[in-house]
Amino acid sequence: MSATVITITSGKGGVGKTTTTANLSAALAACGKKVVAIDADIGLRNLDVVMGLENRIVYDLVNVVEGTCRLRQAMIKDKRVDELYLIPAAQSRDKSALKPEDMVAVVDQLRDEFDFVIIDSPAGIEQGFKNAVAPADRVLIVTTPEVSAVRDADRIIGLIEAEEKGPADLIVNRLRLDMVKRGDMLTTDDVIDVLAINLIGIVPDDEKIIVSTNQGRPLVMENGSMAGQAFRNIGLRLMGQNVPFMSFEQPDTFMKRLSKFLMG
Amino acid sequence: MTDRIVIKGTSNGLIITMGPGEWQGLIEDLSAQLGAKASFFKGGRVALRVGARQLTPAQLTAVGETLNSHNVSLWAVESEDAGTRQAAALLSLETDIGPAKSKVNPPRVARSNIDSIVTRRTLRSGQILRHSGNVVIIGDVNPGAEIQAGGDVIVWGRLRGSVHAGVKTGSEAIVCALQLSPMQLRIGDVITLPPPDDAQREMIPEIASVQNGQIIAEPWRG
Repeated sequence: MSATVITITSGKGGVGKTTTTANLSAALAACGKKVVAIDADIGLRNLDVVMGLENRIVYDLVNVVEGTCRLRQAMIKDKRVDELYLIPAAQSRDKSALKPEDMVAVVDQLRDEFDFVIIDSPAGIEQGFKNAVAPADRVLIVTTPEVSAVRDADRIIGLIEAEEKGPADLIVNRLRLDMVKRGDMLTTDDVIDVLAINLIGIVPDDEKIIVSTNQGRPLVMENGSMAGQAFRNIGLRLMGQNVPFMSFEQPDTFMKRLSKFLMG
Repeated sequence: MTDRIVIKGTSNGLIITMGPGEWQGLIEDLSAQLGAKASFFKGGRVALRVGARQLTPAQLTAVGETLNSHNVSLWAVESEDAGTRQAAALLSLETDIGPAKSKVNPPRVARSNIDSIVTRRTLRSGQILRHSGNVVIIGDVNPGAEIQAGGDVIVWGRLRGSVHAGVKTGSEAIVCALQLSPMQLRIGDVITLPPPDDAQREMIPEIASVQNGQIIAEPWRG
């Protein structure tokens, strides 16, 4: 087995890197792949909370690099899925606690054992970003359909090209179809028009994401949400399957159907 | 093995000429030499002559970081290889060490006398391409990217970033693009912002030049 190492990054903060990491990791694991998620956001760890594994942390990534514990000891198994593990970030340190070489060394130890290593990058373009990208085979860029997020994504794509890690793939997150229809939001095409990289997923804005991240239960673990389905589709595409992009037309609500009926 | 690296002081700062040999080894030698005379080099600025070597942006970044670790800053890379010059230009390094700089009134150079650089890629946000001659981009120039050219700028793609053409040739310079909607456009000393409704236009090739002290953009009619 030789793992595919995927780094999830964005430049701008708050666009959904951690949520994407948690959901993609869970989606791939649900498909029978052996997956380890690594939180590279040293000092601002979140991935453990979103995955609901916070209370089981004993050792973290910095402990591994500093030799305080073995790699095995820092890996937390997610009991809800067959083969899903998390290596959490340290909360009491900062980005300078790691070097890109350290990340490469840790990931190289995981390559033989796993199908996928998914790395959650911190926001920004500094040390933390460089650490997260250093071991990557593929890079997924998350952006929202906002001009500022797209600008930062463009900057990140340039940096990844300079590191010769490209070409990156794009996830457009939190798309709101109602706003796009009104012409108040950038469309996916607008985003692609500027960034000109391969689109690997479109995730609709979904209130259920907020509930699921608060509960520490990735949305892909449940059926019946559009965002969860979108993440599952990205997982399938990462596994090499050709999955068409979903249509985000909502089925009409009861009231809407009623009014249509009455108004003719 | 020190004769592979020649360090020379000029009025333009230090010029380091990298001789033949394996690149990584040379860098290590250079690092050792800089380390040995750290107090002499400290705070200096350095230009590299790399001969006909093909170097990638990543390799040049690595050299820059090595030099930075000795408190020396890299400002120029001179090479006979076009790829290396492009890589240097992308990292905002000068590609022409040139004679000593005179800060006062740079002489206006005739257009035929300056060289051109062709870059076959999209310039993305935060990337700055500086070149003393003409610049040709085959690809887009995205919002947040910047071009500074001594002469003309030609973009075979969408120009949506900032451009300063004619840094040397002044208002004789032209800027043209398949879609000309720059964030900011300067030719010589003249500066203009495109009209605010400019963003959503179809692809109409245009050419911008200075006429009567103003920048005018006209559709390209073969």
